[in-house]
Amino acid sequence: MMNTPYRVDANLKPPTIRRHPINYSKLRSTLPRQFFAYLFLLPALVVFALFAWLPILSSIQMSFQDVRLGQEATWVGLDNFTLMFRDPVFEIAWKNSIQFTTWSLLLGYLVPVVIAILVREMRIGKGFFRVVYFLPTVVPTAIAVIIWRFIYDPDGGVLNEILKALGYSRLLWLQDANLVKPALVAVMTWGGFGTTTLIYLASLQDVALELYEAAELDGASPLQRIRHISLPHLYPVMSLMFILQIIAVVQVFTEPFLLTNGGPGRETLTPAMHIYNRAFIRADMGYASAWSVTMILVLLAFSVIYRVVNNRLSAET
Amino acid sequence: MDRGFFSNIELRTRNGRIYYAVAVLSLLLVAVVTLFPFFFAFTSGLKNSTEIFTGGLNLFPESPQWHNYTDAWTRFDMMRLFGNSFLLVGVGVFLRVVVSAAAAFSLSKLKPVGGRVIIFGFLLTLMIPSIAYFVPLYITIAKLPIINVSLLNSYWGLWLPYCVDAFSIFVLKTFFDRIPSDLIDSARVDGANPFQMFIRIILPLSRSIIIVLCVLAFVGLWKDFLLPYLVLTDPAKQPITVRLFYIADDYSVNLQMAASFMALLPPLFIAILLQRYMKIGLTLGGVKG
Repeated sequence: MMNTPYRVDANLKPPTIRRHPINYSKLRSTLPRQFFAYLFLLPALVVFALFAWLPILSSIQMSFQDVRLGQEATWVGLDNFTLMFRDPVFEIAWKNSIQFTTWSLLLGYLVPVVIAILVREMRIGKGFFRVVYFLPTVVPTAIAVIIWRFIYDPDGGVLNEILKALGYSRLLWLQDANLVKPALVAVMTWGGFGTTTLIYLASLQDVALELYEAAELDGASPLQRIRHISLPHLYPVMSLMFILQIIAVVQVFTEPFLLTNGGPGRETLTPAMHIYNRAFIRADMGYASAWSVTMILVLLAFSVIYRVVNNRLSAET
Repeated sequence: MDRGFFSNIELRTRNGRIYYAVAVLSLLLVAVVTLFPFFFAFTSGLKNSTEIFTGGLNLFPESPQWHNYTDAWTRFDMMRLFGNSFLLVGVGVFLRVVVSAAAAFSLSKLKPVGGRVIIFGFLLTLMIPSIAYFVPLYITIAKLPIINVSLLNSYWGLWLPYCVDAFSIFVLKTFFDRIPSDLIDSARVDGANPFQMFIRIILPLSRSIIIVLCVLAFVGLWKDFLLPYLVLTDPAKQPITVRLFYIADDYSVNLQMAASFMALLPPLFIAILLQRYMKIGLTLGGVKG
C-alpha cells in the first residue's frame, strides 16, 4: 500500500535533490576564475566595443539621421535611403564595383591556380618562386601607386615605351574609360595573387601521390592528370577564394582613391570612395551612413555565403 | 619519393622535358613581371633628371646617380618618416598581439560565462570589415564616448583600433585549445595565478604562432593607409606610407622612385627573412577566414 506511489514514481524522473544548495568550495574557485577570465578579456572587450561594435551600431543609427558637423542629429526616417536610391552615383558606384569584380576575376582568378600547379611541379627553385610571387603582397598600396603611375604614364611610361617599340601607338592607361578598370585591376592583382598562390600550393601538397601514379599507369596524359586529380582537389579552396576575392574587391578604396581619384569622370568611383567623399568632403555623415549600411549588408551577405560554403566543405572532409 | 603529376622518369623523356621547360619559362616570365615594378623603381631612382624623361626603353641608367638615394633620404626626411612608421607599427603589433593573446587565453582556458556570445561578437567583426564603418570609427576616435577625449593626431588613435583583430584571437584560441589542460591544472595546484600561467606556460609554448601573427600584423599595419591618413593630419607624425604619397609630387620622378624603393625595403626584408612564418600566416588566413 505504501509501495504504490513509489512504484508509480519509479517510472518518472527521480526527484532532483539539491544535495548542496550552494557549493561553497566550487564557488570559491569559480568566482575568482570568472574574475580573472573577464580581467583577461577586458582589453579586447573595450577595444572591440569602442572601435568595432559601437561604430557598426552607430552607422546604422546615423543612417536614419541627419548628422552634420557641429549640429544636433535629427531623426529623418528613411530619407537618407530614398535619397541614396535616387542618387545617380548609386548605380554608377555599384556598377563600377561589379565591373571591378568581373575584371579581377577575369584577370586574376585563374592565375594563382595555374601558377600553383606549375610551382608544385618544380623539382628545384620552388622556394624561389614562392618568395618572388608574394613579395608584392607586402608592398603598401600608397607606395605601389607612386611606382605604378609612372609605369602607366602616357608620356615616357614604360608600358607605352614597350608599345612604341612594338610599333603600336601609345595608350592613355589611366585616362581612357575603357582601359582604366583593367589597369587598376592589374595593380590589385599584382599586389594580391601571391597570397592566393600560396594557399593553393599548400592545398596541392595534400594530394596523395599514389593518385598520380595510378593515373599514369592507367595511361592518363599529364594534362588529364591535372584535370582529373589536381583541379578537383583544388575546387573546394577555389570556391572559397572566389567568394573572398569578391569580398576584397567590394572593399576597394586605396587604389582608385590614390591612382585615379575616381576618374576619368566617375569610371573608378567605388562605394567606399563615395562614402569618403560624402562624409569628409561634404560632411554629410547621415547620408554617408546609408551607404555604409548598404555596404555592411553586401559584405555580410558574402561573408555568410563564405561561412556556409566553408562549413559544408569542412563537414565533407 | 617526390613527384608531381609528372613522375621523375617521365621528365627525362623528350615530351617531359618540353613540358617542364615550358613550365619553367612561364613561371620565370611571371616572376619577371612580378619583380618588374621593384626593379623599375630601383633603376629609375638611379637616373638623372633628364634621362628619366627621355623616351625609349632605357631600363638601365647610363651613369647610375647613387647620390639620388642620399638626396631622397634627406629631402624626404626619411629618417623621421621611418621612425614614425616603426613607432606606429611596432607598438601597434605589440598591443594587438598582447590584447588578442589575453582574450584568447581567457576564452580557451578560463571559460568565462557568456563566452559564446563574446565569440560571436568577435566573429561579427570578421564578417564586417572596418572599411564599411570607417566614418563612425573616425567619429569615435575624434571624440571617445563618455570621457570625451580626442585621439586625433595621437598614435593612440591608431594603436587602440589596431587592437581589434578577431583573426588573431581565433588563431590563438585554436592554438591554446590544443595545450593540455593538465598543464594549467597542475600549475593551479602549485598555486600559480592566471597571470603566471599566461606568462610562464601559455606564451612560451606558443612562441611560433605568436611570431607568425606578429609578422602578419607588421606587414598589415605597415600597409595601412586610410586610417592613419584620417587620424594623423599632422605631417610631423605621419607614417611613411601616408606622407610619402603626399609629398612625392613636389619632387622630380627619379627622387620619388628612389624614396619609394627605400620605403619598400623594411616590409620586403621582413617578408624575405621571415618567409617561413609569413607562409604559415598567409595560408592560415585564407582557409580559416
